[in-house]
This record gives sequence, structure tokens and C-alpha cells, in this order.
Amino acid sequence: MNRAAIQRKHLPWAASPWWPFALAWLLPLAGCSQRFEAPGLGDQQEPALSGDGRLLAMVAERGGRRSVRLVERLSGRELPLQGLQRGQPHRSPSLSWNGRYLAVIMQRDSRRDVVVLDRATGQWRPLPLPGDRVPERLSLSPDGRRLAIEVLRQGQLDVELFRIPSHEADLPPGAPL
Amino acid sequence: MKGPQFRRLQRLGLGLGLGLCLGGCQSAGLQPEAGLNPRLAVPGDDSSPSLGNRGMAWIAPGLGGHRQVRWLDFASGLGSPLPGLNRPDAQPISVSVDGQGQRFALVRRLEGRTELLVYERSLALLRPIPLLPAGVPGQVALSADGRWLAVQVSRGGAWQVELLPLP
Repeated sequence: MNRAAIQRKHLPWAASPWWPFALAWLLPLAGCSQRFEAPGLGDQQEPALSGDGRLLAMVAERGGRRSVRLVERLSGRELPLQGLQRGQPHRSPSLSWNGRYLAVIMQRDSRRDVVVLDRATGQWRPLPLPGDRVPERLSLSPDGRRLAIEVLRQGQLDVELFRIPSHEADLPPGAPL
Repeated sequence: MKGPQFRRLQRLGLGLGLGLCLGGCQSAGLQPEAGLNPRLAVPGDDSSPSLGNRGMAWIAPGLGGHRQVRWLDFASGLGSPLPGLNRPDAQPISVSVDGQGQRFALVRRLEGRTELLVYERSLALLRPIPLLPAGVPGQVALSADGRWLAVQVSRGGAWQVELLPLP
């Protein structure tokens, strides 16, 4: 096997004109992480980011309850979530590009519901799932108009896609409509 | 105006009103992606969906039963290969994709270790991301611009969320 063939087989990236950038990209990132701790908070899990990473949503344990927390990255400030029912456990938050929409799974007694907060209006809206599906995990598209849901149905985990036609697109600033 | 014409108009009005109400109620909620969902319906458990602008990454059963990260392109309705990302001896745990479907963050279990990695699709390059101090990564989230990575990390039995900038 000649040198070029060996390179193609074992180092496919080296055949690309971008390999110097690839090498630079391999530099370690150690020591750059940022944490968001606060008094009275226990475990923090299930992170979600807005499109440009300006906002971080996560599920945090407070007084034995798991509720969603929204934090501004630069200031570390926690943003208020109007109308949030902290008494009901939350899971799997997901944000649109500018953080206008926050989707989350909310446990109500033995039922689990998908709800979306429109931070522009302060309205929480339930999004009922068809049939006997139990939501386990969510992903909102960057524009906030699609939702992928991991659902438990008849003992099997499936991923299903839905449109949310009532949502306005939450696009990055300057993006064409 | 009384008689059959009036009753016909009444019925038409009622039908229109009901139709508008039902249409409105349906459009206010979730509408299944009828064209795409059948392509996701494969035997076995699917998990960890992550949406980009034009596609979705998730973890699904692959050939031989081992779980792998997959990508579905919405425009074509087809999957695309992710060279260098999946290994038959690795168990993916959580995946997240940027808006363009070019950069993926992945947590996987390999040879008894749980590791955090970033995959660059255009270069077919997979890079481990070290956690300092050492910890066990769990769920991961990438910002749509691909520049920030948030990860759930276990240290000493407690879960924390950490944010890392990516070049």
C-alpha cells in the first residue's frame, strides 16, 4: 500500500485542505468551563441552550422538587419564568433560538404533559399528545416550529416529529424570514 | 325568512362554524409529521432526539443490534452517513446537534468509560472533550450556532451542569 493510500485509509482528514484547521481544533479545551450554582440548589440536570448559547435552561432540584431554571450565561442571573408551577416536577427543557419558546415536560399527578411557555406573551400552553403516548424527552427546533419527542408507547421508546403551526418562527437576528 | 331556505342556511352556518372551530383547535396544537414519522418507525428503542434547522439526530438501533447515532434530512426524508462517528463497541447515551447539522456533541460509553466527544461532520473528525476536574458526563446539549456545549456532569454523587465554549 503506498503512502497516499495509507493516508486515505487511516487519516481521511489529512487528505482535506482543511487539515491544519482540524489540527488546531484538536487543541484541548480544559479549564474553560463555567458552572451555574446557587444557594439551596441540589442536583442540576438536563441542560438546554438557546441558539447562540445566551440562555441555559436546566432542571434543578429545590427543596426536593425538580423544576426548570433559566439562566443568562454572561451574568449568571436567573430569569423569572412567569406562571411556572413549581409544585409539579419538570423534565427535559428545550429552547428556541432566542429563547422565546421554552418547551418542557410537566408531571401532573400520574400524567405527563408537554407544555410550552411563550416568553413574549408569558403564556403557558399545553400541547396534548395523540393516543396513549407518554413523553420522555423533548427537542424544540431552533425556530420553535417543530418538536421532536421521545415517547413511551406500549412498552417501546419511539421518536416522533410534530409541527407547531401556531408558533411564529424564532429566528436569529438578521435571518431572512 | 322562514322555511327550508332558512334551515339550509342555519345548517350551513353551523357546519362552517364547527369546521372552523375544529380546524382552529387542531392547528393550535401538535400536528404529526406524517411524511417523516414512518421513516423513524423501526423496531427497537429510539431515544435522545435533537433537532437542527433541516434535520434531526437521534440514537436508534442499528445493524447487528448495537445502538448508533443517526441523522435524518427533512428535505429528502432520507438518512445520511456519519463517517467515523459510530463504533460497534460503543454505547451512545446522549446526542445533540447544531442548527446546520454539521457539529454533534456525543456522550458514549466505551470500554467501561463514559466520554464526552464533539464530532465535525464535514471533516469526519471525532474529538474527546476532557472534563476538569474529572467527572462522568450525562446528557449533553449543543447551541444551534455550534459554539457552546452544555453537559450534565456527575462528581462525587452530585449532578452539575457545565458550559464549555467550542472554537
